Amino acid sequence: MSESTNPPPAASNATQEAAAERASLDRKTRKAFQVLLIQRGRNPGVKGWEMRRYLGKDYKKILEVLSDDLKPLGLEVHLVPGPEGTDDSTRFLLRFRDPPTLSEAETAGFRIDDLAVLAATIALVNSKQGRISRKELESFLKTKFPRWRIDYSVDRYIKRGYLDVDDKELVRIGWRTRAEIDERSLMTLILAQGTQTKTAASK
Amino acid sequence: MATREGTRNSEGRKDSSDKKLEDILRLIELCRNIQSSSVNPFEVDIREKLLVLKRHLPEWNVIDVMLKDSEAMQQLVAIVKLQDQYIKHRASALYIDPLLLELKIQLISKEELAESFAKCWHPIAQLDQLTPRGLEKAFVYWRELVPFSERFKNQFGNPGESAGMIGLDELESLSIFTKEEFEARLNVINKELADRSNGKEMDYREFIKGKDPEETALRGYLVAFVVTEGRATIRTAPLTEQIFISVIQGKPDDETKSVAIVVR
Repeated sequence: MSESTNPPPAASNATQEAAAERASLDRKTRKAFQVLLIQRGRNPGVKGWEMRRYLGKDYKKILEVLSDDLKPLGLEVHLVPGPEGTDDSTRFLLRFRDPPTLSEAETAGFRIDDLAVLAATIALVNSKQGRISRKELESFLKTKFPRWRIDYSVDRYIKRGYLDVDDKELVRIGWRTRAEIDERSLMTLILAQGTQTKTAASK
Repeated sequence: MATREGTRNSEGRKDSSDKKLEDILRLIELCRNIQSSSVNPFEVDIREKLLVLKRHLPEWNVIDVMLKDSEAMQQLVAIVKLQDQYIKHRASALYIDPLLLELKIQLISKEELAESFAKCWHPIAQLDQLTPRGLEKAFVYWRELVPFSERFKNQFGNPGESAGMIGLDELESLSIFTKEEFEARLNVINKELADRSNGKEMDYREFIKGKDPEETALRGYLVAFVVTEGRATIRTAPLTEQIFISVIQGKPDDETKSVAIVVR
């Protein structure tokens, strides 16, 4: 009777191994979450080589599991390719899975005008092969926003990493925009804005 | 005649050489301008520019010009790189005609722009917290922070006193006047005023005028003391704004007031 209830030794070993593997995966997933959540350096996110050091060579698989686990919380693991395009230079970060509403964005300390300046800047920089002189940008924005707001907002977004400016005063897209904003959707949405309003009005 | 011809030839050669160097400098400038703006890099005809450089190259024999030539070559390489990026960008899904986009941005409202942004924004989730290491760094920073009063001493020196009034005591301490000398001078100027005005009013500016501006200022300073002590009085004509000074006979009036006069 006891022989029929007890699993064979080989199957028992396999179960134990599976349980150990599951426990190891859980432990590594927890570790990955902590590593991603707590800011270490100046900028958020963890580079590929650091992840490998913390989680081992299978870190990408663990991050996939973590991203699935975070779905109910409305978060995801997002990767931003590094300048060298290698796995080591890729930056991993936690970000909101779904975009916030406009009123939620406002409660986070962003005024509508500030967001509009950033949206216009990103779209314009992207349309100009990813770089535009600061003067040209300011003279364009001046047609829509007051001068003081342009200076304030552009400086603020450079500081926060949404925009980048080089020694030739050329404004480029910053690392934070690459991490947080779906640029392609932004361009499409801006181009569609007027037509949406018109369609709604005609209906 | 032959010498004149030779001179003309050498001048001609020099002009031609200058023109070629100017070509190179203009090419460098053009490439720099393209790099520091969002102008289409295909505006530069690489093939044509390379031919210009190739044509001029055998004629260069000065090291500085050769260096300029290699700089121009380097700038052309940078433009080729930009052209590569331009093609990749145009082929990507992010390419939209800039003019169309500018027009669109100008047409839609700020709210619509902000809404478009919010719809494709995924903010980063992160936790900022104070770590023991951070706390230690902050403590060390605070401990080694120089007091504010001493922080900029090396750059700006000690804060000096702002400009203000210089008094008789100060003049005495600076040995410009001694008390006795000052009193004697006051008496002299008072006597001079009495003599020159002859009991009537006289023009203040005429009275204080000295040989040079320094003496005028000194006489104005002394007269101010004479007036303050009540030995003389000053009156300004309301229409002409001319200032008169006269000696006071007897006791001064109770109705006195302070007047500021610019001494020129």
